[in-house]
Amino acid sequence: MAGAGDAPAQIDDVGEFLAHALEMEHESSANYAQLADSMEVHHNPEAAALFRRLAALSDEHAGRIAEQAHGILLPRIAPWAFKWDCPGGPEGGDCLHGDLSYQMTAAQALDLALSNESRGQAFYAHVAQTSNDAEVRRLAAEMAAEELEHLDMLTAMLAPEHRRDDDRPQDLDPPHIPA
Amino acid sequence: MDATVIPSLHAKAYKSDVKPVWCPGCGHFAVLSALTKTLAYLRVPTEDVAVISGIGCSSRLPAYLSGYGFHGVHGRALPLAAGLKAARPELTVIAAGGDGDGFSIGGNHFLHACRRNMDFTYIVMDNEVYGMTKGQASPTTQPDWAKSKLTPHGTGMRRFQPAAIALAAGASFIARGYAGDPSGLTHLLTQAIEHPGFAFVHVLSPCQTFRPEQKAWKQMVHPCALGPTHDAAHAAQLIQRDDGMALGVLYAVDLPVYACAGSRPGDDALERIEAELAL
Repeated sequence: MAGAGDAPAQIDDVGEFLAHALEMEHESSANYAQLADSMEVHHNPEAAALFRRLAALSDEHAGRIAEQAHGILLPRIAPWAFKWDCPGGPEGGDCLHGDLSYQMTAAQALDLALSNESRGQAFYAHVAQTSNDAEVRRLAAEMAAEELEHLDMLTAMLAPEHRRDDDRPQDLDPPHIPA
Repeated sequence: MDATVIPSLHAKAYKSDVKPVWCPGCGHFAVLSALTKTLAYLRVPTEDVAVISGIGCSSRLPAYLSGYGFHGVHGRALPLAAGLKAARPELTVIAAGGDGDGFSIGGNHFLHACRRNMDFTYIVMDNEVYGMTKGQASPTTQPDWAKSKLTPHGTGMRRFQPAAIALAAGASFIARGYAGDPSGLTHLLTQAIEHPGFAFVHVLSPCQTFRPEQKAWKQMVHPCALGPTHDAAHAAQLIQRDDGMALGVLYAVDLPVYACAGSRPGDDALERIEAELAL
């Protein structure tokens, strides 16, 4: 599998770093938007609203990165050549994630988001620690801090007083699933 | 701006506004995503793409793309795609569907599409089950899978071997991808679309509703041992020894691409194409 389990490679160029950051946020937004659509189609409005909000956050983040990239020539990177250690990108999510279900609860949706955002934060932190370029290190540290804020927000939303595990949506026409 | 430069689009531009009805956790989402990334990477204008499908969960793919699409008849994606390619050779034509649609109802078309070698790509999203009709055994289902009321003791039949059959039928490009490796899949689809001739991409795409045990595929897939091979004898050995979970290009060779002589412009073009493809 492409890159799975490998350590992220070194990034020493500002353009290359910003291309990675932009792609990561676009992937994140697309992933959450797709999950929101999917939950809407399957009549799970609570999870849909949560994923929609996360998609908007990723879009905002992508917008800020695009502003930072203004005037910088970004390299054109093939979709399979990004230097991250997970096949779909750190925040792209895993479309086969075990918890994914049309009946997933908001708490499960938050858990999923938390794991995506943690991978994103780890990617930025890795670049901030390993890049040979001071400007790349500065930008990556800034973005790692921003991701940490997202993580704090999601963690707060997952706090026991907000967490309800018994809110699984009812399915009035369940599929015949083999035992 | 140089008139010959095609502006690049983001993958999002290739998605339509139709929301997929696939179950969350379905592998087909990764195929949709990989295909849009491939088209964006190759800078194929949306108006130059046509995705043709049969029937089944995976065959809903054209609805979720912004290019042209045709959601056809069960098992008939390949003849429809061949007809379109014959009439409009300049288009990027992609046929798509599932294992039941492609290997059972459309099995005979699969053989002849391989040997005709027209220049289009065929993506089969294989989840070893008929999902849309709620979980019956397909040609690639294990013989002892007994979870369907239709086959309470399993099918008792050996499984259809897509890669081996494609090679034997004369396919010039055979690859296997996995929905859990979207980057790798995007690379394979890119190579398939760029390949001159019929390119068959077999995608292991888990059905989380009717085959939840396929979650274990994540631990079972592995890179293809030998890498790309242009030698049919070596490819045959590789595919015969294969456990069905090897990912990558299994075979790729340049063979004469079938060009439909009837596709030259003219009032009688359709009749000429029909006469030629009747063989």
